[in-house]
Amino acid sequence: MGTVKIEKIGGLAGYGLPGSRLKSSGETAISALSPTDQAWVETSFQKPPRSQDGNERDTHRYRITRTKDGRDQTIEVPEALVPHALKACVSDKLI
Amino acid sequence: MCCMCQIVPERVLKRLAADRKFSAEQRKNFADTIKIDTQLRRLRTQAARLTRVAGLIAEAPTVAPAPAITVYDCNHGQTLPGAQILNPATSTDPTAKHVFSETKSVEAFYAQVFGRNSIDNAGMTMISSIHYGVRYNNAFWNGSQMTYGDGDGSIFLDFSRANDVIGHELTHGVTQYSLQLNYTNDAGGLNESLSDCFGSMFRQWEASQSVKQADWLIGQDIMGPSAVDSGYTCLRDMADPDAKHCLAPQPTKYSQVKPGMDPHLSSGPPNLAFCTIAKAVGGNSWDQVGQIWYRSMTGFGPAPNLKMTAFADRTRAVAAELYPNDTALARAVDAGWKKVGL
Repeated sequence: MGTVKIEKIGGLAGYGLPGSRLKSSGETAISALSPTDQAWVETSFQKPPRSQDGNERDTHRYRITRTKDGRDQTIEVPEALVPHALKACVSDKLI
Repeated sequence: MCCMCQIVPERVLKRLAADRKFSAEQRKNFADTIKIDTQLRRLRTQAARLTRVAGLIAEAPTVAPAPAITVYDCNHGQTLPGAQILNPATSTDPTAKHVFSETKSVEAFYAQVFGRNSIDNAGMTMISSIHYGVRYNNAFWNGSQMTYGDGDGSIFLDFSRANDVIGHELTHGVTQYSLQLNYTNDAGGLNESLSDCFGSMFRQWEASQSVKQADWLIGQDIMGPSAVDSGYTCLRDMADPDAKHCLAPQPTKYSQVKPGMDPHLSSGPPNLAFCTIAKAVGGNSWDQVGQIWYRSMTGFGPAPNLKMTAFADRTRAVAAELYPNDTALARAVDAGWKKVGL
């Protein structure tokens, strides 16, 4: 099933932006996720979820990358729509 | 008869009603006309009074009550708003107490300095949620409320500790209810910049600091021990956006702003312009430059895709409108924008 790499971007502190001294990333085996979260990953790579409201400010985005058929696929998803198990994979650090 | 009588003076009608040359029936008609005319005059007087009173009521500004301020506890979950804290002003949780008092202070800042009644200028309840998530390193506005994480205690402390952060998040609400700026490209950068400008002004206003006394840092109070030990003193520095002591350094020139850039980066040039102008004008940031920014933000209706050049020109026009005889101020506004290429 492979792994997904996850990076937290933006927010009030500007994680992962060019020049930023903050990075937050991690990864997990897809098989380690619950069936519901595995289904979320599969569905999200087919059609990335979008925010309905659009008025969120300073929230994070999650850049999620998986390797399928030998090539990387990346999507960006607003934090409110990312399952907790995936958000819990990242850890913050100063660089 | 009545149609004619309305323009016949009462004294003439009285004379005609008493004139024996007319028949009894004609004299009675003249007398009746006097009575009708009198009643009509009274009615017109009443109608005029009613119109005046109605006009006064319509012209009177609608005085909405001061906004309610509510605080909720997420108890480290991520469901908003969480459980309401019934008396946050006297809560034993210092975070709840602090968020309540600082939110109340932001409300007072907008009311006293800019004459604004809450986020929507109509007394909207100001909702805050605290203890969001576990060691959550962020604060945000979700379109209807503020949310604060406790920080991880290492890189960041509790995000609600910083009054400029509270002012920043609340100003996202003010922008949502005024300019309605999008969160991408120029509009996104302006959106973030307005939150930094008003967040910083609020911090200065609370401390009664002049522009010379102000540090112009954003997020100084949430820097945790590992960030401080690494030499970082803030998230952003409005006076020196690309400085090494910033955790998230920013561009300083508009020419560096690129399409699709994160708004926390593209807010650098307008932040620097605001700070430069405020320092050149001197005194308190909120006295003149703040008024120009507030009018430019709230006085022209929604402009979701507003360009930075258009906003810069708007502040130039507003400066001339609000302070028509202050050429030094006009020069300062123009020079501040030109410094960043706008």
